[in-house]
Amino acid sequence: MAKKPRAVTESGDAPPEEASEGVPEKGGEPDRDDHIPPGWEKNPASWGERLPIVGLALMGFGVAMYLSLYQWEVVDRIWEPFFSDTGWNGESEKILRGSSVSKKTMRWFGVPDGFLGAVGYFVDAVTGAVGSTKRWKKMPWIVIVFGLAVGPLGFVSIMLVVSQPVLFNSFCTLCLSSAVISVAMIGPAMDEMLASLQYMKRVRDSGGSVWRRFWGLAD
Amino acid sequence: MWAHVVNAALGIWLMAAPGVFGYAQSTPATVDRFAGPVIATFAIVAWWEATRATGRWNVALGAWLVVSPWILGYEPTAAIVNSMACGAVIAALSLVMGDFNPSKYGGGWKSLWQRDPLHEQRDRAGAGEVVGRSSSVKEGGARE
Repeated sequence: MAKKPRAVTESGDAPPEEASEGVPEKGGEPDRDDHIPPGWEKNPASWGERLPIVGLALMGFGVAMYLSLYQWEVVDRIWEPFFSDTGWNGESEKILRGSSVSKKTMRWFGVPDGFLGAVGYFVDAVTGAVGSTKRWKKMPWIVIVFGLAVGPLGFVSIMLVVSQPVLFNSFCTLCLSSAVISVAMIGPAMDEMLASLQYMKRVRDSGGSVWRRFWGLAD
Repeated sequence: MWAHVVNAALGIWLMAAPGVFGYAQSTPATVDRFAGPVIATFAIVAWWEATRATGRWNVALGAWLVVSPWILGYEPTAAIVNSMACGAVIAALSLVMGDFNPSKYGGGWKSLWQRDPLHEQRDRAGAGEVVGRSSSVKEGGARE
């Protein structure tokens, strides 16, 4: 699906919806080239909304990959500007290599916990980038996977990261940075999921096939 | 909005407070270090209009910080004062909703379990991209 230039997807050529809610204006609306969901003022699937989230996800991926490479002992030392005397390792080492959580993750999954975080960010970036600006309607499943990966799953990963000072009384700058990135992604991602969920409700209420529309198929 | 900025800062402060006041490795430290990041997360997510409602969830967490010193029996006075003061401010500021206009978001989250919410009304008015409710015409995705 070709990426629409942003000028088309978010230009102001469609007049903003009248403030008088409840009274549907007939005929006043032009063709919806901009794919604004009914009852919305802007398209939550526009590139202007999605690209910053994808950018954050890629940043998070970079940070998490660096953490996991250190945990895998591919790199010998980890940057730690605050919780260390030397600017390296310090409390980060305690958490990333010495903690029971990281050892258990390694044993259960065969990969360090940082790598699981990197996989999560990768899913965020891919599901954020795939699809056109009308994907909230054309591929609801990917929007909903995106919303769940960024939202609830992101929240769980934030809690795992910040539980480190509770469990080990140590801080890790890059782990906290990763948590900040995850938090910053949630708010801007949720509106698109709302548009898709509303679309799925319209399908159900009008007797369409929720299952088929969820996968972007015609009834 | 500004209220949730303050709450986010207080949540982050709670993460640091045990170290600053020197009560790390204690019950209040555990409470602060869990409540702090959760509060900060809910507050920051509430910076965006579509998810403004998560700011309200901090009412419960702020209230918990006010009562927890007495339920769990905190040790240093600094921990008691800090927990109660932060909790009271957080709970009060969480009540400041900030502007959220559901009619900019198809009726908002509650439209998902409302009967005939705004987005369905607008959809019918705008020639219907799903299926006209009263008509049997299924237009599918071809329309767009």
